Amino acid sequence: MRTLALIRSGIATTIQDTGRSGHQQIGIPPSGAMDKFAMLMGQRHLGHRNNEAALEFAYGDLAFKTSHPCHFVVTGAPALITIGDAAHHSGSLEHTEANQMVNIQTSGHGVYNYLHVAGGIAIPTCLGSRSTSPRERIGGLEGRYLRDGDILPLGPESKDYKPLDSIMPSNRHRDTLSLRFIPGFQFDQFSETTRQKLISQVFSVTPRANRMGIALSGDPVDTGIQALLSEATCYGAIQIPPDGDPIVLLNDRQTVGGYPKAGAVISGDCHRLVQSRPGQRVRFVAITPQEADRVAWLEHHYLETKLS
Amino acid sequence: MKFDVGPAGDLGLRLAFSQSPKPSLTYSLLALQSAARRQFSDALIDSIVGYTTLTLFFNPLTLDRERAQRWLEDQAQAACDSPGRADTERKTVTLPVLYHPSVAQDLEWLAEKQNMGIDDIIELHSRKDYFAYATGFAPGFCYLGTVDERLATPRLVTPRANVPPGSVAIADQQTAVYPCSSPGGWRVIGTCPTRLFDLNSDPAALLCVGDTVKFEPISMADFRAVQDTQAKQ
Repeated sequence: MRTLALIRSGIATTIQDTGRSGHQQIGIPPSGAMDKFAMLMGQRHLGHRNNEAALEFAYGDLAFKTSHPCHFVVTGAPALITIGDAAHHSGSLEHTEANQMVNIQTSGHGVYNYLHVAGGIAIPTCLGSRSTSPRERIGGLEGRYLRDGDILPLGPESKDYKPLDSIMPSNRHRDTLSLRFIPGFQFDQFSETTRQKLISQVFSVTPRANRMGIALSGDPVDTGIQALLSEATCYGAIQIPPDGDPIVLLNDRQTVGGYPKAGAVISGDCHRLVQSRPGQRVRFVAITPQEADRVAWLEHHYLETKLS
Repeated sequence: MKFDVGPAGDLGLRLAFSQSPKPSLTYSLLALQSAARRQFSDALIDSIVGYTTLTLFFNPLTLDRERAQRWLEDQAQAACDSPGRADTERKTVTLPVLYHPSVAQDLEWLAEKQNMGIDDIIELHSRKDYFAYATGFAPGFCYLGTVDERLATPRLVTPRANVPPGSVAIADQQTAVYPCSSPGGWRVIGTCPTRLFDLNSDPAALLCVGDTVKFEPISMADFRAVQDTQAKQ
């Protein structure tokens, strides 16, 4: 069997694909790659047409060996890949010999990387996905973060993929990242002052960031809403707890919650937000659902034309 | 009955009724959820019923947002015109509970606060039938209501980092059993040995929205017996 051995497992390393759906009613979050765009680009690059799983890790610092010669690609945050004596920038198709040490190091920008090895991480699916949900201990390898020394099975390498041009890294530095959001949930119940405070100020990304959500800090936003009956959250939901610091809810969010929400950041901008390090300045920009649909179409079109 | 249909991010639509939660409303929401699954089939990737809301998540590339919104508004209007009724799928589940200070760190606190004996609390908590209004928070977690006013108690200001699995707890007029160990701010008054979530069972979650739950006080000996039986499975 072809395997991958994790020599240095890195930070918050999990097995992910694009996530699971249909189980939020019983409290199971969708999980899946935090930067779905980077995940899809890696899958397309290797001809992975069946949602093959990759390794997600944060603040790139990972080393691995494979039991057989194989191809791989690293997507997401820009990283430096060292195979033997040769060092390359991430985003292109790479090849490693059997038992050769491969190092992946952050280049200082972005947060999440994806290591896609040809054939994918071939663990069984759980509720329709290989994605790890560590809090629920579902999916992945025993539902947990990976550790040094873990050995992972690889699927058969596809013979018919065409190597593509190098892939753009997921994050380009921006002074202030615009988070386009669709107002909704309790937004209309907020006072005009509260709504203005949310839209006019620049927030910054805090270190309170993980797969559940990213907390922002700024001048506290008082929603004036004390308690709500628990209702569904959603991807990108801007939740405002009593301390007034918005939290953008992400892949491993609680599926229901009782805090007020101002609306939700569109998926395409969530993928940019997750690649932002603490201190990144962000601002919320309200858009209509119709504008959001156009953005989703454009991003889909980009993937289909650029990478097929 | 009034309602509002609006977006829930770029993938979702949210229907919210502006009225207090009650079982007939939950039945309407469940009927709407089933109708949405039939109507949209694969374009609907997930859906969640809350206390007074139904949220639908779509594949944005196959969604005609305006049409879906109109459909949901029409369905909601129809639901207003004919109140929801229980259907045959809804079940009653009896959960055994050991109410004892050694396994319930807020039991004595609550008794003292309300100037009652522990037996009174057990009696008040276990004599009612509870309705399952919502699920989520954690896999298998089910929001049950409504508890006797004398037991209603606010959440802890600072949630505990770790509430043990099986903890039977109260927050305001809601009660619930923690299916797995998790952070939590509810007041713990007992422990339930029944497994509420098991990936090897079908369905994985024991309790569904619309179910009825009864709590049955058990002795320490019974508690151990249930635990032992589960360990052998």
